[in-house]
Amino acid sequence: MEGHKLAQVLLATLLVFAAGCVTVKPQQRSVLADPIMQFEGDPQASAQLRHAIDNREGSYGGGGVAGGGCGCN
Amino acid sequence: MLGSLGRPAHRRTRSALIAGAASLVLAFARVASAQVAQVDTAHTFYHEAPTRTNMTVYTPGVDVAVTPAEWVTVRGGYEADIVSGASVATKAGSAYQSVNPGVDVITTASVKDFRHSPRGGFTLRKGDVAYTASYTYGTENDYKSHSIFVGARTDAFDHNTQFELSYARNFDSVCDRVQAVEDTPPRFRALEDSSGCFTSEERRRRRALSIDGFQASWTQAWTPTFASQLVYTAQLLDGFQSNPYRSIIVAQGLKAQEHHPDVRVRQALALRFNWYLRPIKVALRLTGRVYRDTWDITSGTGELEAERYLVEGLRLAARGRFYRQTGALFWSDDYTGGEPPLGPKGQYFTGDRELSPFWSLGLGARVTYTIHPTAKPEGGTARLLGIFTNAKLGSSADVMQFSYDEYTLAGVPITNARAYIIGATAGAAF
Repeated sequence: MEGHKLAQVLLATLLVFAAGCVTVKPQQRSVLADPIMQFEGDPQASAQLRHAIDNREGSYGGGGVAGGGCGCN
Repeated sequence: MLGSLGRPAHRRTRSALIAGAASLVLAFARVASAQVAQVDTAHTFYHEAPTRTNMTVYTPGVDVAVTPAEWVTVRGGYEADIVSGASVATKAGSAYQSVNPGVDVITTASVKDFRHSPRGGFTLRKGDVAYTASYTYGTENDYKSHSIFVGARTDAFDHNTQFELSYARNFDSVCDRVQAVEDTPPRFRALEDSSGCFTSEERRRRRALSIDGFQASWTQAWTPTFASQLVYTAQLLDGFQSNPYRSIIVAQGLKAQEHHPDVRVRQALALRFNWYLRPIKVALRLTGRVYRDTWDITSGTGELEAERYLVEGLRLAARGRFYRQTGALFWSDDYTGGEPPLGPKGQYFTGDRELSPFWSLGLGARVTYTIHPTAKPEGGTARLLGIFTNAKLGSSADVMQFSYDEYTLAGVPITNARAYIIGATAGAAF
């Protein structure tokens, strides 16, 4: 239960931090917008690789989501 | 009859039709000039040949996405799995083999299958929000699947933050053998082959499997060169989850079709960091994932990838992956007896090595080449070969080594479980 509370406080703190204190201006996002900084650069190839690996493991989920944090998708 | 302008009505109608058609052509031309279509194809080749079995899977896929207006993208695609190999049909462990030393109890069966999977969907955008819906159909000799997906994504805090929520639901059917009415799972017999599946054949039946999947993600730009992503996935499976073809030796002289629990709840939490190191011009991606399910499998995954441009447009990435999992609560390498961890484990039994404790190590590399045509000095959209606004080629190679703590084939450990995965992609926009 305490672990849950700690996780909630941590998440809330991070969200406040993200909302107020961290601002990457549009003109500073050239690196973040580059294909090299995408979390899921080639979704189709990544999905096929994950499909192959998922069939050999007992785990599933937590796969990458498209985007690189540049807000440009 | 004359109209108010003094022209015959049919001539006025014809003029209106010509004007209407011209407007339509002009409007369509305007839309078409803004139209963006993306075609991507990916191909994956998987091969492994551990002790007594082997598996080769070729997975081709193609996707087309068209964005006729800024607010909508429509996409369609097709993927297949072409499978051939040999898998374990009867599984036993060391305790049974030691009691029956002269018998080769392990049997294998050849596997040949072709999974077809067409898919389609659309994305609608309004402001910073995008809504996606899609449908995927899967069919193979012994398995059918209908899957729907809905998701929403939004940007927040000056586009430094993206949140995404999605839900997927599968309505699947698995072919199984009809069992004798008075029999219970320890006496169920395995499916011999896929003949008669999904027909009115009396010896076959359909077993339902429903899958509910939920995912939430938070992507955050922290600095101009550092971003993170947190992804939570939950999945609820309800229905037939065993391999209908696999038999397990559960007692002396008794083998039965693999028997897994019907319900499984799976949860995963992954945290990724993307960091661009300017001094060496390398992007580093670090991923950590923890997983747990109600079958008592716990796992941890660590991935590290480094990527950099060799020349403009040409990127090289190297990656490594480590994975470790515990076994399912009902996993046993031998249900007939022996010293722990062997012996019976309640009402369920499995011969699935993916449910046993093991670790794996993966190493790989990927090359990607992206071509952006140089802009024309007179303006207008630059096109490659007069058609494409950009094109992309990629290829990858990965090797994964699996090390099983307990899984054996009648006491013979699998020491050469190594998988080779080759990938190739191509894409173009026009």
